[in-house]
Amino acid sequence: MKKFLYNLSLFLLPVMLLCYPIDFFISNNLKKSNKYAEKEYPTWNDIYESKVNSELLIFGSSRAWIHIDANMISDSLGILSYNLGIDGHNFWLQNLRYRELLKCNKKPKYIILSLDYFTLKKNEELYNSEQFLPYMLWNKDIKNATISYKGFSTLDYEIPLIRFYGNHDAVENSIRYFTGHLSNPITRIRGYQGREENWNSDFDNAKSTMKSLEIKLDNPTIILFENFLKECKSNNIKLIFVYTPEYIEGQKFVSNRAQIMELYNRYSKEYEIPFYDFSNDSISYDKKYFYNASHLNKVGSQIFTKKLIDTLKCSNVFQNKMK
Amino acid sequence: MLFNTLNYAIFLPIVFLLYWFVFNKNYKYQNILLLVSSYFFYACWDWRFLFLLIFSTLLDYFTGLKMSEATSNKNKKFWFWLSIIVNLGFLGVFKYYNFFADSFAQAIANFGLHVNPWTLKVILPVGISFYTFHGLSYVIDIYKDRIKAEKNFLDYSVFVCFFPLLVAGPIERATHLLPQIQRKRVFDYNRAVDGLRQILWGLFKKVVIADNCAYFANIIFDNSVHYSGSTLFLGALFFTFQIYGDFSGYSDIALGTARLFGIDLLKNFAFPYFSRDIAEFWRRWHISLSSWFRDYLYIPLGGSKGGTWMKVRNTFIIFLVSGFWHGANWTFIIWGLLNAIYIMPSVIFNTNRTNIDIVASGKYFPSIKEFFQIITTFILTVFAWIFFRSNTVSQAFAYIATIFSTSLFSFPFFKKGTLSFPTLILLVFFIIIEWRGREQNYAIENIFNKKPKWYRWAFYYLLILIFFLFAGSNQQFIYFQF
Repeated sequence: MKKFLYNLSLFLLPVMLLCYPIDFFISNNLKKSNKYAEKEYPTWNDIYESKVNSELLIFGSSRAWIHIDANMISDSLGILSYNLGIDGHNFWLQNLRYRELLKCNKKPKYIILSLDYFTLKKNEELYNSEQFLPYMLWNKDIKNATISYKGFSTLDYEIPLIRFYGNHDAVENSIRYFTGHLSNPITRIRGYQGREENWNSDFDNAKSTMKSLEIKLDNPTIILFENFLKECKSNNIKLIFVYTPEYIEGQKFVSNRAQIMELYNRYSKEYEIPFYDFSNDSISYDKKYFYNASHLNKVGSQIFTKKLIDTLKCSNVFQNKMK
Repeated sequence: MLFNTLNYAIFLPIVFLLYWFVFNKNYKYQNILLLVSSYFFYACWDWRFLFLLIFSTLLDYFTGLKMSEATSNKNKKFWFWLSIIVNLGFLGVFKYYNFFADSFAQAIANFGLHVNPWTLKVILPVGISFYTFHGLSYVIDIYKDRIKAEKNFLDYSVFVCFFPLLVAGPIERATHLLPQIQRKRVFDYNRAVDGLRQILWGLFKKVVIADNCAYFANIIFDNSVHYSGSTLFLGALFFTFQIYGDFSGYSDIALGTARLFGIDLLKNFAFPYFSRDIAEFWRRWHISLSSWFRDYLYIPLGGSKGGTWMKVRNTFIIFLVSGFWHGANWTFIIWGLLNAIYIMPSVIFNTNRTNIDIVASGKYFPSIKEFFQIITTFILTVFAWIFFRSNTVSQAFAYIATIFSTSLFSFPFFKKGTLSFPTLILLVFFIIIEWRGREQNYAIENIFNKKPKWYRWAFYYLLILIFFLFAGSNQQFIYFQF
């Protein structure tokens, strides 16, 4: 028995020792692949490499990511901006992005929080979980924020290589990047990416499967959201709520939208946060600016960003800065 | 708990260390540990079905005792049939009730009568077909006076519930496993190393071969109407390797695990895709089930004693029952029937025992004749698997019809960029290793055993590296559903 355990340990030792270097190799190459994981790696890299360092940050879901052109804002307002919109996620993980940002970047002066009807909902599945792969090993904050989702097990966060087991695509992308066999265009510029797409069948498909959509608000997310508002206030970070355009038919599809908007209005008043709601803007009535009910195409997002800039210019939010 | 999960990677070493270091004073303590671990292992799926497992164990244990104590044949017969009816009753309710209810409703609908079948919303308890067959063989053997009833409930429970074989076999026999449970096990270094090696190869088959093939097979079978004949044929090939990697991989892990505890289980696979005819294939595929049907169904029905007609009839019966054992769906029944048709010429012409030994024994390559025999048998098997994998009989027929269209000669194409080169390389690597090791119990049993130790270790490291880097997305073991 002693011989068996000795030989087994001897055999497993190199496996254990090599786990971390291999993990590092895969992670390091994977995070440089711009197209994988719904293009979230460039943004995460900028966060961890302290390249965000902006006065104005834009938080939200994919509607933030593809609706608000951070470069246009920087040029027009003279305030360095960065769009940290995270595809498919609600405030729970938008908050994670904010926490991770503070670890490696300076605190912002302004935050535009792009609100959606699903901001205060929490999904069961960890959508696009691949985006965390290169950064999650021994990262307690990522673990705490994502463990409640169906996605990773505890050991994925603690033991090198385990999370890549069965994740064929991630390993393949990493190797392809390393060997130079991956087309790797930069698609997000300071976090923003316009989508050159026309109206597709997403909304029709949704309508064919259900009559309407009721959003279930998640209490822990609401508490987290309120704490975030309080924290920004106490840290002198000026918050701005923005509800970016949403196709009018899509607005009608969400049965409790009015109740959700009422909640945002209440927070706006309670915490004295300006709230710019573009739900009834002319853009929201014109299908040609959208590729589905929730998302503007590139033309729509450029027009919208200009309108947002004009709105911000007219308000007194940046008055001191613009003087 | 699946064999290819981290939970099992934690569970197995704990049980192993407790078995050899804490409970090693007496084999009875080791049996207690094995039983508790097995119940825990099973309860990880659904603890409620643990009661069903315990009830099934109790039933066969007591009816076995009652049969051995019976003073009259009538009394013995009563306990025997009680066990058979209750065992098959459970199997019927959980596995086949909905199938019969739906089939009955559909059948009478043909006569213009419409009924809404009362179907049960029940989950199929994992491994029910396996542990029921375990129990049945035990009860039948006692009834036929082949064995004596086991008086020690603990030993009998370990025989039924031993965790490596609990959910997907091999289907053990009391004559083989019980004596091993009832004697002191001594740790044997070579046996334990051999067990680990077989686990490693089983994991490779499951995680790398089966799960990667499953990815492509699922895409093609789930969207079969959109694909060309050549693509569908490729899909059937992928499923052929998937099911072999999945089930023989599972069996390898089960056998290897049992060997770590000093217990040998029955061999379940012997390189079936290198068979030269269908009869040989069935002697090499799911051996424990084939031999179960031979011993408890084919021979009691008269076997081959009554001439050709009886052989033909009995062969059809065991293949139909085998198909039905796999699942409550007409696709499985047709799969069984098709195999019966395949094997029929060799049954009629008495050539079913022509190829007993492994092909090209002691040689590097098969002869041209053997090569064509292997390819023919393999292709026949591939076509039978189409029924096994399809959701409905009509899907299977449509699938085969498309294969036999002119689109068979087009280049296979299903989803741009998904047919990754590494998967094909790994399949070739797998076939080469299996061919090379076909005369052993499992392909890598003696690999590089005449070379220095580091050759073997380098090969094991290569396998570990491959299944970390190229593991397919995790799929349920196919045979768990049976």
